[in-house]
Amino acid sequence: MIAIQGLQKAFREPVLRGIDLTVPKGCLYGLIGPGAAGKSVLLKHVVGLMRPDKGKIFVDGHDLLQMSELELQGFRKRFGIAFQNNALFDHLSVGENIAFPLRRLHKDMTEQEIQDRVDERLRAVALPGMQDRSPPSLSGGQKRRVGVARATVARPPILIYDEPAAGLDPVSSQKIFDLLKKEKGDATVIMVSSDLDRLLTVTDRVGMMLDGKIIFDGTTEQAQNSNNEYVRQFVHGLTEGPL
Amino acid sequence: MSLASPHAAQESLTFRIGKNLFDMSEVAGGMAVLLVRVLWRIARANFDWNEFKTNMYKMGVKSTPIVVVTALFVGAIAVIQAAPMVQQYGAYGLLGWGAGFSVLRELGPLLTALMISGRVGANNTAELGTMVVTEQIDALRILAIDPLGFLIAPRLLAIVLTLVIANIYADALALFGAAIASKAMLGVEYGVFLNGLTSGLLNFGDVAHGLIKSAFFGLMMAIASCYFGLAVKGGAPGVGRAVNAGVVASATGIFILDYFVSFIIG
Ligand SMILES: Nc1ncnc2c1ncn2[C@@H]1O[C@H](COP(=O)(O)OP(=O)(O)OP(=O)(O)O)[C@@H](O)[C@H]1O
Ligand SMILES: [Mg+2]
Repeated sequence: MIAIQGLQKAFREPVLRGIDLTVPKGCLYGLIGPGAAGKSVLLKHVVGLMRPDKGKIFVDGHDLLQMSELELQGFRKRFGIAFQNNALFDHLSVGENIAFPLRRLHKDMTEQEIQDRVDERLRAVALPGMQDRSPPSLSGGQKRRVGVARATVARPPILIYDEPAAGLDPVSSQKIFDLLKKEKGDATVIMVSSDLDRLLTVTDRVGMMLDGKIIFDGTTEQAQNSNNEYVRQFVHGLTEGPL
Repeated sequence: MSLASPHAAQESLTFRIGKNLFDMSEVAGGMAVLLVRVLWRIARANFDWNEFKTNMYKMGVKSTPIVVVTALFVGAIAVIQAAPMVQQYGAYGLLGWGAGFSVLRELGPLLTALMISGRVGANNTAELGTMVVTEQIDALRILAIDPLGFLIAPRLLAIVLTLVIANIYADALALFGAAIASKAMLGVEYGVFLNGLTSGLLNFGDVAHGLIKSAFFGLMMAIASCYFGLAVKGGAPGVGRAVNAGVVASATGIFILDYFVSFIIG
């Protein structure tokens, strides 16, 4: 379970203005909201990459902010994250990018096991045999899928996806969402996506952020039928409304 | 208050000077903190050996051509500058010493550092900056990898070593260039040049003087280029600005250090 209480963060201007959010264990949580609402910043707080000015974050009962940098380093192994900017290591091949978390976190795996797992991941994201390509030579959508493969390869209990389907065509996008849902197992997942039509086909719960606040939190069905004018406009992609 | 008011202009000028000083001390302080944190990791041998080797190749080996060309011409230039005096006083025997003195102690380390800064330092800032904007640094941290130990410490070591080693080569090549220029321009025989070089007026201290400087220049370049790379904000244009700032800061720092190190180690 991930519990966030009263989270505040300002850079030059306030970005998170008091976020309260609970993501139950095993939930597939969709986080939506317009650009610059603070979604990516919130995700980086959840995985301990950013420290808030105020507020608390509990992950599986552990207080993230009480941890030293060293404890945090160990704790982060629980997370798999696909970053909005892909974050593929340019100096490593696609295969080595995907193998990277395994080499770091599972030192007991044999080379053969690692290669098999990389193979399997590449097939799962429909990029079979792409091991030896270099990330800069991939298309935007291909990079995205490699990012997803790397995030999931070590099978972490908490998965964070920041726009996993951005830049993908509708079919590939739906395939990625279906894959993420199928493989979720009992992991806790937070997914940010602007592709609402498809995102909402896989989520259990949905939260909407606006200007650094959570303005809605409920089940997918509640989101789809919400009377909140912001939520309604955003979920149904209407041009008329307060946004 | 209108913008045209002289008072406002004055205020904003003092404000701007103050702000610039403030920004500069922030940068200097940031670099000092980074240096301490990185040296601490090096002292505990807490850094990535592979990354060090890769960078040694990328920074050191691949810089050889520019070091060779620069060094040969630096030696020749030293001779051109000394030529009028040598001819006026007929002090041909001192040419080796004169060229050697300025090359080993000053020109070699300084120009090698500036050339390498343009190549290695700029490239280093761009690489780190790109890693920041594409969230590669965050991706490392998620995998429990300390970016300072994994990326910065090996680069700092590689840059300092590259500079010291390049300087050894540059010294030899510059003296070689000087000897050729002496013969070609002033007709000074190689034997005479070599004699001036080895007559006892120059000693290992002069070589060491240059090498110590190189090490400091390397530290300066490494810290400035890493600092500005890690501090990148605002996407690809931010990377461009950081490269620019990093090269300027390196060069400025190198000249300032040159003065103080020369002064202190005499
Ligand atoms: N490291 C940072 N330093 C300064 N400001 C930042 C930083 N990261 C984010 N911001 C600012 O915080 C705000 C929220 O950014 P964030 O990336 O969380 O938005 P987002 O909701 O993910 O938007 P998008 O859907 O476009 O990705 C933006 O105004 C951004 O400029
Ligand atoms: Mg974002």
